[in-house]
Amino acid sequence: MRSWSSQTISAKITRMNLLVSGTALILAYISFLGYDWYSLRHDLVSSLDTEAAIIGANSVSALDFDDPQAAEITLSGLRGSPHVLYAAIIQPDGRSFAEYLRDPDFRPVPGPRLAPGDDESHWNLNGSILLGQRIVFGGKTLGSVYVLAETTDVAHRAERFGLISACILLLSFLIAVLATSAIRNLISRPLTELAQTAQVVSRDRDYSVRAELPSSSDELAFLVRSFNEMLEQIQHRDRMLEQSRTVLEQKVQERTAELTAANRELEAFSYSVAHDLRGPLQNISNIGFLLQQTCAAGDVDGPVLVEKLFDGTSRMSKLIDDLLRLSRATSTPLQRTEVDLSKMVERILKEHETQARNRQVEIVVAPNVYVNADERLLYLAMENLLGNAWKYTSKSASPRIEFGWRKDAQGTVYFVRDTGAGFDPALAGRLFRPFQRLHPESEFPGTGIGLATVQRIIARHGGRIWATAGVDQGAEFSFTLPAETEEPSEAAAI
Amino acid sequence: MFLAASFAASESRPSQYDVEAAYLLNFGRFLRLTPEAEPRPGATFDICVLGEDLMGRSLDAIAENEKIDGRPVRIRRVPEARQARSCDIVYISAAEGERIGTDLEALRGASALTVSDDPGFLRQGGIIQFVLQGSHVRFGVNLDAARKSRVNLSSQLLRVAFSIGGAPSGEVTP
Repeated sequence: MRSWSSQTISAKITRMNLLVSGTALILAYISFLGYDWYSLRHDLVSSLDTEAAIIGANSVSALDFDDPQAAEITLSGLRGSPHVLYAAIIQPDGRSFAEYLRDPDFRPVPGPRLAPGDDESHWNLNGSILLGQRIVFGGKTLGSVYVLAETTDVAHRAERFGLISACILLLSFLIAVLATSAIRNLISRPLTELAQTAQVVSRDRDYSVRAELPSSSDELAFLVRSFNEMLEQIQHRDRMLEQSRTVLEQKVQERTAELTAANRELEAFSYSVAHDLRGPLQNISNIGFLLQQTCAAGDVDGPVLVEKLFDGTSRMSKLIDDLLRLSRATSTPLQRTEVDLSKMVERILKEHETQARNRQVEIVVAPNVYVNADERLLYLAMENLLGNAWKYTSKSASPRIEFGWRKDAQGTVYFVRDTGAGFDPALAGRLFRPFQRLHPESEFPGTGIGLATVQRIIARHGGRIWATAGVDQGAEFSFTLPAETEEPSEAAAI
Repeated sequence: MFLAASFAASESRPSQYDVEAAYLLNFGRFLRLTPEAEPRPGATFDICVLGEDLMGRSLDAIAENEKIDGRPVRIRRVPEARQARSCDIVYISAAEGERIGTDLEALRGASALTVSDDPGFLRQGGIIQFVLQGSHVRFGVNLDAARKSRVNLSSQLLRVAFSIGGAPSGEVTP
């Protein structure tokens, strides 16, 4: 037999029903039986009492005139009472005066006797009742009557009650079974379904299943509804988790790609730095060798050679300066302030004008352009852009440099436009890489680091820079400067 | 109780007369007055012995301190029947012999229960007659005589009577 706690609810309900009805029935049986036993005994005693009184009254003369036969005739009237086993009239001295036996074979055992002073009494003997009563006539005690009666009626009643109770117990068992099937529909079935759903959820991790709502609107329905709501919430959370995981994965992939690209760029950069630094160094070395030779030969070319030597060192110094600037552009923290970009552009161009008084350049600057940016870095970027424009318009017939802005889908776009040498649009991709030069050094001098620096500064401000041009058609550098964006990572900035 | 008491008193097997004495008193207890009987003037229940007293002291001993119908029992010995008319029970000794007829005549209409152990008593108009059956004292009843004397006998008494007769019916038969 399974233990109570591991049984199904319907089994528990069935058992409980049976237990309750069985207990009630047994209690009712016992109390009815007890009552019946008591009342039957009571009735028996009172009927025996009456019979004894009648016998006593009718035996008075027999006792008075010492006539046992008459007394026995009186006693034989008890044949009408089948429950009386034995009766006797006892004389005051204790001798038996007359007797009655229902069955001639019955041998009565000596029973208790009335105590002096008692007129009547009864005793419960084993399965029978003995009643004693004094015979009093004219104030005198003539003797006493004893009647012994069996209580089989009580036993019969108990048997009958037991049978009826067993029938009722069987009936209540049937009713309990029927009631259980009704209860199973109301309570047990929804619970079982709920348990099965819960099992499916925990086994398959399938949060899309739902428990069926019972037709009732009790606590069970509430439980099922709450369970379903809980599943809904879990499902929703699952979806969110899945989403964020996808986003994260995507980000990781992006970052990995960026990092790989940055690494490749860094390798190229180191190679370029080494290559470009070796150029002037080779020059200096060569000139030094020549100087040594001319000095030994007593030649007069010395000052020219020294001049060229300085030229080489200054070019190298410039290259190192630019490299430092590029490094600074990527490593120093941003300090954004309100910057008057128009004024900055004007100041830079004014400097170029004062340095080259012989050049006539048409300059157009859009007024009142304010941006939120790091002033020092922005100055470095604008100096590079405007310096390029100044440099590449040097061979132009009617040079013109324009700074302005326009609105488009990406927001405010600033531009620096010139009428200079321009470049081959097919090579635009190489424009912002360090040490990439689209024009020969002899035509336009430069280190090839300037635009790379500009690109990094704009990128650090969260903006973008691009160029449009054609050969000998001038160039236009456009860039955006988002007001407040998070600084892109170092990797992206290099 | 009475029997027992008398047995105890004599400390021997009770004689026929002891039993008869006790029975006399018992008859009194089963006596019912008929409605037409005149109320008894006396405050005592008189048991009278007419003729030679064969019972002697045992009757006195039994009747001592006894009451019937709330009246104290008094034993009177009367020499003549006429003197016994006011008695409740008149015991006529068998020794009266042939005088019994005249005695009964003298008691006619007196509402007294007449008792005797004379064998022809019932035939002569007596009401109760003792009969010896072995060693056992029984009695017969003449109901006609009782009716004439306006003496009402309880059915309880008749229940234990040895024989019950109507009009003077000759021999008492078992």
